[in-house]
Amino acid sequence: MKPLDRRSFLARSGLFVGAAGIGAVGALARNGDGSSAAAQGDASGGSPAASPQQEWNVSQAELAESDPFDGPHQAGVLTPRPAQATFAALDSIAPGTGELEAALRALSVRARELTAGGPAPLLEEGAPPSDSGTLGPVNAPDALTVTVAFGASLFDDRYGLTSRRPRELVQMPTFPIDDLDPAESHGDLLVQICAHQRDTVAHTLRELLRTVHGSLQLRWNIDGFSGAARGPTPKNNPRNLFAFRDGTANPPTNDSKLMDELVWAGPGEPAWAAGGTYQVVRIIRQHVEFWDRVALTEQQEMIGRVRSTGAPLGGTSEFEEPRYDLDPHGRRIPLDAHIRLANPRTARTADQRILRRGYNFTRGSDRSGELDQGLIFVAFNQSPERQFATIQKRLLEEPMIDYITPVGGGYFFAPPGTGGATGWIGNGLFAASS
Amino acid sequence: MGSFVLISALTSSGSHATGGRGHRPATVGEGLTPAPLANFELHSPHVDSEVQVYSFQGVAGAANATPPSDSPVVAASQFTQPIADYRAYALAQLGRMETQLGRLQAALAGGERADAESAWRGAYADYLRLGAVYLDGQTALDARVAKLNLEIDGTSGGLPGGVSNARFTGLHRIEYGLWSGSSPQALTAYAGALATNVHELAAVLPRAEITPLEYATRAHEILEDAARDFLSGMDVPWSGEGVLATDAGLQATERLIATLAPVVGTTERVMPTVTEELGHLRSVFDGLQAAHGGLLPSNSELTSEQSEQLDGTLQGALEALSQVPGVLETEAPSTVPRIPAADFVVQAR
Repeated sequence: MKPLDRRSFLARSGLFVGAAGIGAVGALARNGDGSSAAAQGDASGGSPAASPQQEWNVSQAELAESDPFDGPHQAGVLTPRPAQATFAALDSIAPGTGELEAALRALSVRARELTAGGPAPLLEEGAPPSDSGTLGPVNAPDALTVTVAFGASLFDDRYGLTSRRPRELVQMPTFPIDDLDPAESHGDLLVQICAHQRDTVAHTLRELLRTVHGSLQLRWNIDGFSGAARGPTPKNNPRNLFAFRDGTANPPTNDSKLMDELVWAGPGEPAWAAGGTYQVVRIIRQHVEFWDRVALTEQQEMIGRVRSTGAPLGGTSEFEEPRYDLDPHGRRIPLDAHIRLANPRTARTADQRILRRGYNFTRGSDRSGELDQGLIFVAFNQSPERQFATIQKRLLEEPMIDYITPVGGGYFFAPPGTGGATGWIGNGLFAASS
Repeated sequence: MGSFVLISALTSSGSHATGGRGHRPATVGEGLTPAPLANFELHSPHVDSEVQVYSFQGVAGAANATPPSDSPVVAASQFTQPIADYRAYALAQLGRMETQLGRLQAALAGGERADAESAWRGAYADYLRLGAVYLDGQTALDARVAKLNLEIDGTSGGLPGGVSNARFTGLHRIEYGLWSGSSPQALTAYAGALATNVHELAAVLPRAEITPLEYATRAHEILEDAARDFLSGMDVPWSGEGVLATDAGLQATERLIATLAPVVGTTERVMPTVTEELGHLRSVFDGLQAAHGGLLPSNSELTSEQSEQLDGTLQGALEALSQVPGVLETEAPSTVPRIPAADFVVQAR
């Protein structure tokens, strides 16, 4: 993100201060590449209400960042990944297509308001407040994104959508290493909420659910977080809970041609799905105590990278090419190492690459006192069968499978964006079916 | 690359959790050069040792500078007798299991649910007393043993349709039936197939290869699997017999460690700690058995205090056991070849 010009930031903040009082911050739209529309200066923040002696415990500039809700594609796919997330799967209890459509419209309207930020609307004091108010009188945008996706079950016979189902949208299959809990698998909808701050994410989930009560019911949800950027450079990826850097080999999101080939819906999909993408979510328990009792050498051979630097074995830089072509027998990087199976880097497997956007999770302990921690694996891809499932089948050969257990998640299709301020996520689907 | 600080306890007793015999910070193997900054005394209920604060400055080119092993290499031939002892033990266990399966088949045919459940417990524990099965599937024999293991002890997890999948057979199919109200007689076919598979396993197991590496790794992985799969309830969702299963894993581990003790030798400080921790764990199981009328309780019958005692003692044993493979290496770690400099390519970002 580019630095914010402090004077510009304060001037924008003043708009909301006048409207809503203390603690207000202004929205700062981010460009498509994730940089802010205005430059950021003082990362520790500063607002008219700040005492010179006090330090903000969060970046006020980050709170002011805004990712547009409307556009040809949904936010939360290519946009930069903020530190906090919640994934909420919902089931529709709407009695008819009209009610379902109304709920989806309402979801978009409220998501648009929250991602833009601004004063929380007030009603008369005798009525329940229209906003929970947990973020104060002004909802700072905080780079909030809300991404809505549909599960295969939404296209059953309830709402007349069967013929409109995206071509590859099926219930996530059970892979041989899975131990899926039905209570945290699948769902009619998935709502992915991401923001810099945990309270923004928690507030958004609460507000969105309130909007759709009576039509969409929470099925399961899980909170995620990203490791902090701890360098050595800002480009280095944060670590997962096995302590290895995650996301190193992600395809560059600023390569629109590549995104068209790997992420956005391809030929053969229904017309309404153009600009959408398949979203795979896997809740993967990582048996961290077990992992911590494995020799470092073995850990590194299982992953194929040096733990400290993230470099491929035999290299020194996280972004160094592993050069499997020069290591055909696995003397440097074992043939069953995770990075080698996940992305063999051959011409034949180039179209199997996926865009990962996962988060770590930690949620207490299991009944035997072991930490319940892991990875919310999130992948956006054009074809789950050609991409995610093919990779997953290769990974069945990796030794790391002893240390993980996929316990939930699902296959979803994230429709295209709203296209404009009057649109809503899914409008193309319903327009096509009417 | 920037620098960071690690606080490393330098124990003089040799009981450091990483098991290293030298005074070396554990993370030095990740290619970072330590430089001591200061020494001070650390006082805590658990650690009473000199503590040295290290500053690590990354060194380019040292990324794969894994330190040499501090244990001498063990000759592979030293594993011959332990593995032979284990094979004899495993075959004896399978013989006991076949006896239990005879009981199980009779109880199921007679509609005696309680007797069937008792026989199932015996057969299941006998099977788990074999310990782990490591097979790379490279030979037809490996593939056969792997298939038999799956048919004997496979769970419904990972099968499309779960318990309704036709490939869900063996011990856990019978467990599912017995503890979810199926007619015992409806399970007799599964018990018959199970007995056939166990008989065949007993015939092929003596010929299955067990490498020294696999054998040494079992020292901690049998109980690692127990912690992951049994006490969590994951593999025994219907009977809840995770304590019984973990006890069986402990018995297998005790046997394995007994065979390995001569190989490790007396100069290593690992084995006394392992023996002590396994003894603690054994006493916990003995206590549980005494507290529950002579039978090991199911997971749900454990009190919260008993659960904490068992889980915590198991974790302590695992920390000690995890040091065993490192002192039983049969090959010196090889140096990872560098990516040829001429071919160094930095990915486009």
